[in-house]
Order: sequence, then structure tokens, then C-alpha cells
Amino acid sequence: MEETQEIINTEIELKGKFKRMLKFYLLPFWRDEEFLAKEYELGKIKSKRKLFSRLYTPLTIIGVLILLFIAICAVYASWLTPYSIYDLNARPGTDPFAFPSAEHPLGTTILGWDIYGRLIYGCRTALTAGLQAITISVIGGIIIGVISAYFGGKIDSIIMRIFDILIAFPTLILVLIFVNLYGSELSNILTVYGVLGIPNYARLVRSSVLQVKENLYINAAKTSGSDNFRIMFSHILPNAISPLIASVFSAIGFTILGISALAFLGFSDSSIIDWGTDINVGRTRLFTKPWISLWPGIFVGVTVLGFMLVGDGIRDALDPKSKK
Amino acid sequence: MAQNMIKYIIKRILLMIPMLFLLLIITWILSRLMSIDPAANMFDPFTTDQATVDAMRRKLGLDQPWFIQLAIYIKNFFLGDLGQSYLGRSQGYQVTEYLGLIIPRTVELMIVPTILAPIIAVKLGVTSAAKKDKPADTIIRGIAVAGSALPSFLIGMLLMYFGSVILPALTGGEIFIPTIGNKDPTFDDPTPFTNFRIIDCILSNRPDLLLDTLIHLILPWLTLTIVSLAGITRVTRSTMLDVLQEDYVRTARAKGCSESSVISKHALRNAMIPTSTVIVAGFRNALIGSVIVERIFNYIGLGFTTWEAILYSDYWMILGIILYFGIIVLASNLISDVLYTIIDPRIIYK
Repeated sequence: MEETQEIINTEIELKGKFKRMLKFYLLPFWRDEEFLAKEYELGKIKSKRKLFSRLYTPLTIIGVLILLFIAICAVYASWLTPYSIYDLNARPGTDPFAFPSAEHPLGTTILGWDIYGRLIYGCRTALTAGLQAITISVIGGIIIGVISAYFGGKIDSIIMRIFDILIAFPTLILVLIFVNLYGSELSNILTVYGVLGIPNYARLVRSSVLQVKENLYINAAKTSGSDNFRIMFSHILPNAISPLIASVFSAIGFTILGISALAFLGFSDSSIIDWGTDINVGRTRLFTKPWISLWPGIFVGVTVLGFMLVGDGIRDALDPKSKK
Repeated sequence: MAQNMIKYIIKRILLMIPMLFLLLIITWILSRLMSIDPAANMFDPFTTDQATVDAMRRKLGLDQPWFIQLAIYIKNFFLGDLGQSYLGRSQGYQVTEYLGLIIPRTVELMIVPTILAPIIAVKLGVTSAAKKDKPADTIIRGIAVAGSALPSFLIGMLLMYFGSVILPALTGGEIFIPTIGNKDPTFDDPTPFTNFRIIDCILSNRPDLLLDTLIHLILPWLTLTIVSLAGITRVTRSTMLDVLQEDYVRTARAKGCSESSVISKHALRNAMIPTSTVIVAGFRNALIGSVIVERIFNYIGLGFTTWEAILYSDYWMILGIILYFGIIVLASNLISDVLYTIIDPRIIYK
């Protein structure tokens, strides 16, 4: 009885203490004698933000850590490797396909470029490429999806039929053809991936807008005189957007995979450092020096894994039906 | 109800005909966007003179106005003439003839993964959803995520390395799985009855060739199976998890049905709707072929031919392949719509 009273007192003291003390934890070598480990655990459990606690699952944390690692590699690339982009992609080095040594921690690839440096600089390409392509897909998909679902009727069915066919086509082959038409610069490739990703988002947004449209407040907004544009983008869209957020991350992962596949086939830009081109180049030495292809491949896999884990975690956290 | 279904199917089939024309027109427009000149592409630019190129242009009908060219193209399509390939491995063949040689090889490559992967993947997905958060679930999720996240070419290359380096090292040089091509270069071809190499080997009674072909196909089959397994498992698991929350599952359990019958009879049929989309997509991908896997294993199939045709700008071959893909996509859309109405008959009444 006294112990429970003590615990309740301790909990009442803790109500603001964790938040107040949080900024001190970030200082190194700071210590507070009163804040025992038990109190810290209690403070953690009493987190008021439910969304955060639903996101705080082990797999999602692993995904976030992976993404953080890739982001750090991308941002601090010049500090992590002594070679510059010029040395890694433009100027032929001295010793192609060498074994790992002191100057080249993972060996070299064709024309003597350092593998470790190309891995680090490749993070930049992967992150920017994924985000750029997805932005085009998402914005285009939202606009077309909301418009077609709101107006309904003939426009809706025609657009959805076209998008059904566009989804069914293998994107890799369409991208190959368009790259052949318009040149293989990175911006062209990303635009094509972006445009080819629009049908997926349009369908997602359309299905949730169709559900939101039946609500009574939309009718109320129409009666009180809002024009169509305002209803679509101020009333319907904020309520329809949650399945989209969950699928954005997974889609970034698949875009990165697609760009690597394109680079593997040899149609990508040769002036950027991409993991796919490294895998393609290392293919000739696969049986004797497998690490040349293996390391870029592992990095691609780990990056996509990070995006997929975060995407799955967000989807599980935002889904009202999944129990916790 | 059967009447409604048949009316719906007939309506969808009739919708296919204008779509076919639309496909022809779009393919033709795409061909005009390509900045290559088919006549000039056929000849060496340094040694041929303008007259030969002009003669070829006239022969191909390229100096007519655009609507006449479109009409010629559509007429040729219905006559079965898709042009002649002039670059690369398929030099000199008519496009339809070469596709007839190549497509059976791709079907041979794809048929085992397309049949095997959904069976295994649905079972794995259902198990993983039913035993959520237990060790089996974690293992299956791990495999599924690894198969989706790792690029397919990396899985293929790892399997190649395993088959050609690790396996002989472990068994002292006795067993190794060949990794390149679809036959040993010292072996010859069986007599081409059906262009399906496996069936031809059986029909011409050459078991050594049959064994050789099958051994060459093991690694590509494994790669494709792993890749499709991962995707289907994830979709099945997530839809199964959603379905298991529904009220009718709770009712079935309260009624006293055994757990296995609840899962396989009540829950699975509702969870199969998105999964059937993925499975039909798998069959469609089987007919389209995989560029990446065929390029890794140097397997001459439809995917490899596509890549080669685009690389060399082989004009008629690219057009023929796009047309073939379009027909496959339209047909598979039709089949998946029909399948939807069979699995979930409520759709017709919407």
C-alpha cells in the first residue's frame, strides 16, 4: 500500500519532468542523481503522443536508422572519403579491378575508381532520384485523382481505363523506349518515372476521395456556396490523403530499384555515380572478384529495405483498423 | 446471375476492339516520335549512296503522307506482316517469324515460376498472417522483405556465384550449375517441331539435351520464383491481416468452426481479390518476359530481344514488340476483370 502510494507520488512528480529534463540529456557528461533508471522508464511509457508510440516498433526504428545512415552518407560524403567526384567518375585511375588495399578500402572498379567512394557518393544519387520522381508522381496523381473522382461519370471511367492499361505495361520497357527517344540524362529518366507513377497515386486518391465524397460536410459545403475547386482541395483532400502517405515511402523504394535496374541495363546517365552502373560493371569479374558487384547491390538492397520498413510502419500506424 | 456475368463479359470483349485500334494508333505515333530513319538505319552511312536509301524509303512507303502510312501500317497488321528486323541477332528474319522462335523460349523460362510462386506465396502469406508476431511470422516477413528489397539482378548474380563458385568448391569440382545461356555450346539443337525446346527434346528423343536444358534453367527459375514470391507474400499477408479483423471471421469462430476452416474457407476468399490481381499480373509478366533476368543469364528470350532491339534501334522489331505487349496487356486486363467477377460476384451489380 505504501509502495503504491510511493509509485503514484513518483508518477505525479514525473508529469513534466521528462520533458523538462530532455534537453539536458543531449549534453554530454551530464548526470542527475535523482533521475533513476526506473523513473526514466516510467516517463517513457507515459508518452502522450499516441501516434509516436504506434510508430515506435522495432522494425520501423530499424528502417529509420537505415535511412538516417544513408542520409548521413549522402550529406557528409566529402568527409567520408578522400576522393572527389572527379576522381571517382571522370579521371581514370591507376589500378583497375584491384584488391582491397590501404588507399582503396574495398578495392577498385573499372578505370581504377574507388568502390568505397562510389558507394558513398551513390547515396546522393539514390536519395535525390527517388524523391524527385516521386514528387512528380504524387502531385500529378493527386490532381488527376481528385478531379476524376469528384466529377465522376464519363471522365472518370475514361481516365481510369487509360490508367489501368498504363499500369499494366511494364515500366522498365516504357522507360527504355523513352530514354532512347529523348536521351539518357538523369532528369529525363526521372521525369519518365514520375509520369509513369501517376496512375498508381491517381487510383489510390480516387478510391479514398470516393469514400470521403459521401460525407455530409461536403454537401454542407456545397450548399453554403463553395465552388468546386475549394471543395476538392480544402475539404476533401486533407481527409483523403492518409493512404497516400503510407505508400509514398514504399514507392520511393521501388523507384530506386527501377533506376538501378535501368542503370544495370546500361541505359542510364554515365555522368552520375549510380549503384546500378557499378553492379553492371562488376559483372565481368563476378566469379573472381565478387565484391565489386556485391557492395553496391547490398547498398541498394539496404536503402530500399529502409524505405519499405518505414513505409510499412507508417501504414500500420495510420491504419485505424489495425489493433495495437 | 450467369446471364449478367455473360453480358458483362461480352460488353468487355466488345470494348476491346476500339482499344485495339487505339493501341495500333499509339504504337504508330510512338514510331514516328523515334528520331531514327528506318531506311537510313539499314545501311552503312559511309559506303552507301543516297539512291539506295531513297529506294528503300520508297519501298517501305515512308515518303507517303502520314495518314496513308497509318493505313498501310494497320493493313499490314491485319495481314500479319510486321516488317523485317535488320540488326543484331535477328538479322534477316521477319518480325513475326522471329517472335515465333523467341516467345516459346521465354514461356519455358517463365512457366515454372508463374505456377510455383503463387502457390507457395499464398500459403506463406496466410501462415504469416494467421500466426502474427510469432517466430514463423518474423521469418516469413524477413524473407519477403529481403526478396522485395534486394534487386532481382543481385539475387540472380548471387545465385550465379553460388552455382559456379561455391558449389564446386564445396563438392570438390564435381557438381556445378551452368549459368550462361540456355544450352551448352557444344550441344546441338533438337529438331524444331514446336520451338519449345523442352518439348522438342522430348519429341526427338534426346534425353541428354533435355537434361542439359533443364540444368541451364534451374538458376533463372529460382531467381524469378524468389522475386515473385516476395511480392505476392507481402500482398497476401497485408490483405489477410485486414480480413482477419472483420466481423464475419469473428462470427465464424464464435460459431465453432475449426481455425483452419475459418482461415481457408471464410477469410481466404475475401483476401484473394487483391492477390488475384497480382497473380494475373504474374501471368502477364510471364508472357512479357523479364529483361533483367534474361540479360544476367544471357538467355535468348523475349526480354533479351527487347533490350537488344532498343539498344540497336531496330525499328520494326521495337514496333512489333510494343504491339505484342499491348495485345498481352489488353488480354490480361480482360481476363483479370472476368476473374474479378467470378471471385467477387458483387462487382457486376455496382
